[in-house]
Amino acid sequence: MTQKTHTIAVPRIVSKNNAGHFMAVVLAVAALVFYLIGVVIGEVFYFRLACEALIFSGLAMSVDILLGYTGLLSLGQALFFGLGAYTSTLLLRDWQTGFWLALIGSLLITAPISLLCGLIAIRARGVYFVLITFGLAQVAAKSVYNVRELGASDGLTGVSVVTADFLLFKVNLGHAPSLFLLMMVLTLSTYFILDYLMHLPFGRLLHAVRSNESRVPFLGFNPQVYKIIAYILAAEIAALFGAFYPMLRGFVSPELLFFDTSTNAVIACIIGGVGTLIGPIFGSLVFTTVKSIVGSYTEYHVLVIGTLFMLAVVFFPKGIAGYFKSRYDLLHRKRENS
Amino acid sequence: MDIIQFVLVPQILNGLTIGIAVVLVALGMTIIFGLLDVINMAHGEFYALGGYLAISLLACGMNFWVTLLAVPLLMLPVGYLTERFFIQRVFHSQDRHILTLLLTLGISIILQDIFKLGYGPNTLRVQMPISGGTEFFGVFLPNYRAFILVTGSLIILGTWFLIYKTSLGAMIRASAFDKEMAGSLGVPVRQIYAGTFAFGVALAGVSGVLLAPLYSVFPTMGHDFILMAFVVVIVGGMGSLVGTVVAGLLLTQVQSISSLFISPALAEPLVFSIMIVVLIFRPQGLFGKIGTG
Amino acid sequence: MRIKSFRMLKRYAAVTCIIPVVLTVLLVVTGSSIAAEVLKVGILTPLSKTYAPIGQQVRWGIELAAKQINAQGGIAGRQVELIFEDSEANPAVATQKAEKLFQKDNVDFLTGTVNSGATLAVGQIAERNNKLIATTVSISGKITGSGCSPNVFRVNAHAGMQANALANWLAGQQPGGQVYYIGPDYEMGRNAVASFRKQAELNKLKSVGEVFAPLGNNDYSPYFGKIRSSRPDILYTSVAGNDTVRLFSQLNEYNMLKKLLVIGASVSVTSQNITAMGNNAENFVTVSGYSPELDTPANKTFVSDFNAAYQSNPDLYGADSYGLLWLYKAAVEKAGSSSTEAVREALEGLTWDTPQGQKIMRAEDHQAQADLFVVKVKGGKFVILDGVAGDIAIGKDTCKHF
Repeated sequence: MTQKTHTIAVPRIVSKNNAGHFMAVVLAVAALVFYLIGVVIGEVFYFRLACEALIFSGLAMSVDILLGYTGLLSLGQALFFGLGAYTSTLLLRDWQTGFWLALIGSLLITAPISLLCGLIAIRARGVYFVLITFGLAQVAAKSVYNVRELGASDGLTGVSVVTADFLLFKVNLGHAPSLFLLMMVLTLSTYFILDYLMHLPFGRLLHAVRSNESRVPFLGFNPQVYKIIAYILAAEIAALFGAFYPMLRGFVSPELLFFDTSTNAVIACIIGGVGTLIGPIFGSLVFTTVKSIVGSYTEYHVLVIGTLFMLAVVFFPKGIAGYFKSRYDLLHRKRENS
Repeated sequence: MDIIQFVLVPQILNGLTIGIAVVLVALGMTIIFGLLDVINMAHGEFYALGGYLAISLLACGMNFWVTLLAVPLLMLPVGYLTERFFIQRVFHSQDRHILTLLLTLGISIILQDIFKLGYGPNTLRVQMPISGGTEFFGVFLPNYRAFILVTGSLIILGTWFLIYKTSLGAMIRASAFDKEMAGSLGVPVRQIYAGTFAFGVALAGVSGVLLAPLYSVFPTMGHDFILMAFVVVIVGGMGSLVGTVVAGLLLTQVQSISSLFISPALAEPLVFSIMIVVLIFRPQGLFGKIGTG
Repeated sequence: MRIKSFRMLKRYAAVTCIIPVVLTVLLVVTGSSIAAEVLKVGILTPLSKTYAPIGQQVRWGIELAAKQINAQGGIAGRQVELIFEDSEANPAVATQKAEKLFQKDNVDFLTGTVNSGATLAVGQIAERNNKLIATTVSISGKITGSGCSPNVFRVNAHAGMQANALANWLAGQQPGGQVYYIGPDYEMGRNAVASFRKQAELNKLKSVGEVFAPLGNNDYSPYFGKIRSSRPDILYTSVAGNDTVRLFSQLNEYNMLKKLLVIGASVSVTSQNITAMGNNAENFVTVSGYSPELDTPANKTFVSDFNAAYQSNPDLYGADSYGLLWLYKAAVEKAGSSSTEAVREALEGLTWDTPQGQKIMRAEDHQAQADLFVVKVKGGKFVILDGVAGDIAIGKDTCKHF
């Protein structure tokens, strides 16, 4: 095997992320069809399962911003996901703030905390970064697990059904198909916004940091600043999607901050394709579906998922998005040749 | 007086045995990182594998002391094959830090489930091979803990001797420092890599056997232990033997003594904060890497 | 170029449309193929991870009951079908699986949750889906106390009930004894210690100290110095599972088992860890809603049936889960329907027979009232020392939600 096949490398910078956008369109169309059929047959469970997958796809995208665009692997992204989820729970349940303030509150509180964590973590490179993020999340999880005001190991229950007011119309998040549509819109718009950001000079600089950090200062930029911005951005995305978790399930528990949540996001990101942003969404959808289905048949689902993950790392390091892209490029080239 | 005799002295002594236990687990991890630059996320599961192999061998009627020697020997091929089949496969990639970390993470997830498949989810215990305890000046130390103190120290010293005082160790250090140069001087770098990985895994295995009578054996035992081992490895300086020993002993003392004054649940965050402070001032840890110092 | 890409778009669109269509058709087909008369019970219990051993007992208890009920002609003439899901003892997983059981499998009743976090979260899901659940394992007082729900029932004894019974017994054995408490640092552990401590002090026992170790703690010896210097006669523990194995073997190492009377919550020493503990568990005293040693005809048949089916003794989780399905049978047959409202009404105040004897489901807070037993470990078995009447142990109703 050549060296190249084994890099979970970012696809070369292209002026337009055609394959990615195309995948996003495919996803949108599939979602619409799914929505129509689901509404006709009165489906509930699969809508809500899809919502959960989309919520976790935000966490996977957050991992991808760091891993795919900045070259930093975080094994503790669940920290910010949990932060968003807990903040939104407290705001919705104890302060009755409603939908918008819960989201804004989660984003606001994440900013200083992620800045602080970032300042600690960013100093370290490579594996040190991995271990620090792992440790930070572990300590946060253990603390939440022991704080009675946060429900300790039981978590917090009792978040009532939320209605989101969009001025022109209102969405009842307890209604599964509506929540699904809202989550789909949120996920895809997050994707397009992030994708746009990554093609701005800011994104290119991140890429430069990823490829060769020591040369970035020669270009007149401080790589640390860009890394910390990426870190905060990733944390905010994780917190934003985390804030939706209690709106879906009505509760939060410290397990949301655990190592398993972080690794599941990394697994989804790898399966979907690192450095593509759209890949992690697909990865998360696949991961959640596979886990839900396999889990109903065998209690050894971890074994199945672990094996799939290993195979993906060794044989398909570019993931679903990589496969899609190669197909797309092939088609494109054929058409240009003909 | 009561406080010193009942609390402080035993606390330090207990902290010392726990420290040796943590150092034993962390030692293999630090060697693997020092040489291969690989964070072995599955190290905890290799430690558990040691415990499970001991359970199997003991069930076959083998004596505990024979098991203590047999398990690391059985672990050597396990480590060797893991390195050749998984680590080597991605070793030359530019992202090898992350890829090897992900691979070993995968291995750890799979191994945990395999333990459950093979041995069931319940806790298994290894009979204490040495019972009783010794009391001096009112301070009580169980004999098996004394044995761990001595054996653990010998293993640590032996490892240090192997790496710093033998020609094999010189080859290992040379490969860690500059693998191309070492290779051109005739050092069989690939074998050294696989062999060192195997050695690290065997160390995890031997700690698994040694600690099984104290900590018992169950599928997630490695995962519970690994955070402390990570912290020790980071604070000591990834890949530094001396650093691992110093950090391991110091941090477990901090944990042990602080638990007298603060809630034990906070002892872990405390140790972790120490790690962060160390990293702020010395990002590379307290001591340097194998091959560079 | 435009047209071509449009054609390609059409092809992809076709593919993307087909996938969800096929999926949904499959769902509808598999979902509707089950006959309507079957009564479906979902068992959402940890089949993997740390609590898997408890999940196994829950599974065995329910399966045995279902087999026997079906052989007798089912519940009100309807056969019982069990659907198992793995909760991983993780509330986030449990809620997703609970929704699957309620919304996709359309179960009539759900049980099996182990940790209180999962029970509380699933209870809320049950309320929103208008279904009933029962726990046979969770001991947190919150479930039928401050966090009670009209849709949640509990058939096992909660921590407070155990504490009442154990403190009463202890006061009779060692009046004025000095007690040290050691528990795991999370909700269940602290709750169990707090409720026992309160009862112990009411019974004029002296508390000399307490320590809470992190969950999954490797080494308890750092706490032994403090314990020894407080010179207690009695050590109360609510440490559970794998941690108990370590705690007891380390207590033994330091010669402390012999000097202390060790008592604790029912979760500390169970059939899951008693084999691993060997001699170290000897003389441990706890209060439990069940012991396989219970000398009644009903229990003897139960134990021998259980052994014949699974080559293993039932423990309190197995027995309580077994008893639960009989409760459900009694309720559905009394109500003459399996609708949530009818079954809830039938369950409230219902008296039914279990291997442990008769139990009553208290209508006010949905907590079952049952006799408890003070048991002591002898030769690896739970020998019954004393019985405690259920109406004394159960305590006041503190539920305010319905």
